[in-house]
Amino acid sequence: MNRNKGKKALLLSLIVILAATLLSACSGNNEGNKGSTNANTASPSGAASESPANGGKVKELSLFIDMSWYPVKEWKGPVAEKITEKTGVKLNVTVATDDKQLPLMIASGDLPDLVFTNANIDRLSDSKLSYPWNELISKYAPDFKIDKTRIAIHTMDDGNFYTVRNAFATQEEMALNKYAVGSDGNPGIAVREDILKELGNPPVDTIENFEKVLGMVKQKYPDMIPMIMDKDWIEQYFLQQLGVEGLLDGWYERDGKVDYAIRQPAMLEFFKFMNRLYREGYILAENFAYTNDQIDDQYATSGKAFAHSHTVSVADTDNIKVKDAGGAFTFKMLPSAISSKTKAVSSGLGFAGTFITKNNKDPEASIKFLEFLASDEGRKLTMFGVEGEHWTWNEEGHPDLKYDPSDADFVNGNGIKWWYLYNDGVMEGMLSYVPGAQKTQALMERKAFTVYKPELGLIQLQPDSEEKTLKTKIDEMIKNEKVKIYLAKSEQEAVVNYESMVKNAEKIGLNRLTDWANQTYQKKKDLFKK
Amino acid sequence: MELDTRATGATGRRVEQPQVWKRFKKQKTLHLFVGLGMIFLLIFAYTPMFGILMAFKSYSISTGIKGIFTSEWVGLKHFDEFVNDYQFGTIVRNTLMLSFLKVIFAFPAPILLAILLNEVKNMKFKRFVQTISYLPHFISWVVVGGIAFAFLSTDVGMVNKALMGLGLIDKPLDILTNPDYFWGFAVGSAVWKEMGWWTIIFLAAIAGINPSLYEAAQIDGAGRLARIRHITFPGMKGTIVVVLILTIGSILGGGLVGSNFEQAFLFGNSINNSTSEIVQTYAFKVGLRDGRFSYAAAIDLVQSVISVVLIFSSNYIARRTSGSSLF
Repeated sequence: MNRNKGKKALLLSLIVILAATLLSACSGNNEGNKGSTNANTASPSGAASESPANGGKVKELSLFIDMSWYPVKEWKGPVAEKITEKTGVKLNVTVATDDKQLPLMIASGDLPDLVFTNANIDRLSDSKLSYPWNELISKYAPDFKIDKTRIAIHTMDDGNFYTVRNAFATQEEMALNKYAVGSDGNPGIAVREDILKELGNPPVDTIENFEKVLGMVKQKYPDMIPMIMDKDWIEQYFLQQLGVEGLLDGWYERDGKVDYAIRQPAMLEFFKFMNRLYREGYILAENFAYTNDQIDDQYATSGKAFAHSHTVSVADTDNIKVKDAGGAFTFKMLPSAISSKTKAVSSGLGFAGTFITKNNKDPEASIKFLEFLASDEGRKLTMFGVEGEHWTWNEEGHPDLKYDPSDADFVNGNGIKWWYLYNDGVMEGMLSYVPGAQKTQALMERKAFTVYKPELGLIQLQPDSEEKTLKTKIDEMIKNEKVKIYLAKSEQEAVVNYESMVKNAEKIGLNRLTDWANQTYQKKKDLFKK
Repeated sequence: MELDTRATGATGRRVEQPQVWKRFKKQKTLHLFVGLGMIFLLIFAYTPMFGILMAFKSYSISTGIKGIFTSEWVGLKHFDEFVNDYQFGTIVRNTLMLSFLKVIFAFPAPILLAILLNEVKNMKFKRFVQTISYLPHFISWVVVGGIAFAFLSTDVGMVNKALMGLGLIDKPLDILTNPDYFWGFAVGSAVWKEMGWWTIIFLAAIAGINPSLYEAAQIDGAGRLARIRHITFPGMKGTIVVVLILTIGSILGGGLVGSNFEQAFLFGNSINNSTSEIVQTYAFKVGLRDGRFSYAAAIDLVQSVISVVLIFSSNYIARRTSGSSLF
């Protein structure tokens, strides 16, 4: 009897404990949610690492990188170690698995100390989610000076700025430094040098000739795919060759008025061209469904593709990979311009920015960390590597690199460039300055035909605004519908699909969005005129 | 008079109470288990339901949970937006087609397999088939996605290579990207994955049939097919109806074999989007990726309402026609 009672008591207490854990798990969640509005609640992962930080030695901050392709996934290597040495900050890095992870973290209030993002800059520029830099700077880092243009670009309607994007340089800054040729983030196409030779070195000086060469490849090497494209670099190169301004989801300006890029006349020509590539069998339909950015590299470096569309560094990078694998062929960059219409409009305000979230357990250390990265020493360290070990400064005004910046394995392994949580376009542009490299050549050609219209980039959307919803819906629609144009069975069908895409955009509210954009543009365009 | 009733009422209660309490005490352990389940449902199924409010409000995630109550009412604005979306027709059609195709093909499959297995007299073979057929149930859809790519991709896919090698086709089949193949592929892979698993429940129903019925039928001269038709099938009917009602209740999620979301999410891409985008993936995209929780809540609410209607009506029809029902 007594034993039985003991058992029952045990069972009862077990149930009570279970129920209690259930309830506490629930309330824990609630606290987590409050965390997004309450600065003092540290994230669970942060709590674990808090004790060493309080020990006064190296502080550990968590960083989320909102780019699933990010090549560097851990805080290690000489550059990271040097930064830690200089700042006393170590980063606990998480790289996104997909583009929904950060939105999910925002929703659950589970943000890390720092977030580095390009896709969610609008959304994180919100005083409920992030600390304004201006507040932190005046409080903790009064010597952290940021120039007026950059501040103006990033200032939101509430008067605060929450980040400063890297990879930005004004036209004057670029013009002043001739060694800043541009960054990797520009489109380029590499072709097989050996095959081109076997075909008798036909000229690739116009778009038509390029198509002809692809046709020759298809005929002579039926097992080969004439052109493979990286999933993120499908359109850019050809958009520029056909004289389209901006990308599919951007703005273009004509006679002082702005309109959405899909409505410019050159856009239809671009779609017809892409559709022709598909109908002629020069590109794979599957290429538009890749979710992995390695597939195209494998095709190219295993010798199964003739042309490889990626960035300006594609030939150099592919060649290193082919050589390492013992291959006997090489890639050569196509010229940056193969058409008389080629145009590149730089409306960019930079690439990605770092946010100090409200969950941050040490905003002071965070802003000081960024202050170091923004210093001349910090920018050079992150961009080029450790001075003496990786580079020496040339009196002419550029670094002499002791490595090949296109050697992805070396660059990524040493953590060079990728910790550019704060940097600028001039510094990044110099990393590409390697006399003799194909990339350098391509970028210098590119710089010549680039037109700067940064004021277009100022058409920025406020988080949770109606315009943001409209633009997101339109962009999403374009993402779905453009593939139908590319893969149309005839040119006629492609044109019909294009027209229906524009009509859909108008149905969603493109005209309203354009009106708003014009108003914003007129208000802000004088920012760059001084 | 009043006093009287009160008195009798009180005495009645006095008599009843100890009895109920006694029975309750007797079943104490069971009640604790039930209670725990109820608490679970209350916390995880009923409490979050207040979030439905979002669908009628202009909610922003940065306002936290409090914002659900404090944000501004907008009525049916989000429902209106969904209905007028340029993709609305396509999305609804895809959801319904995928769901109904799954009921039509995936629901009878395990019943058939159970009956077939029941007729197999070689126990070793029976066990072998059963094990093989229910193993895929334990593979996650993500892994199935990888397997599908290895088998079916146009370039490296084994199936395409074999068919090309045999000269049966001269162009690889683009099963994973062509919108025309998506429904067939989704239903086929779902049947492959879940058929064996659901066979177990139907085999259990068959095992519950009294063997003497079969013996009697055999003596009466009933052949195999006649026995299946007149004994096995009627013996399974109760189970079939219950499973069918559950299936129809969850039809928009894929019914018995489920996985509409997983399939649309993993096998859907920008090329087959015109047949693979369904309500759930759409709600997921606008809700989480774009952060429009109100709109996503409205979309999902529409779907839930349809599901509730379906489960009540199928239950009603089942009660009227076969006599067995869930409630």
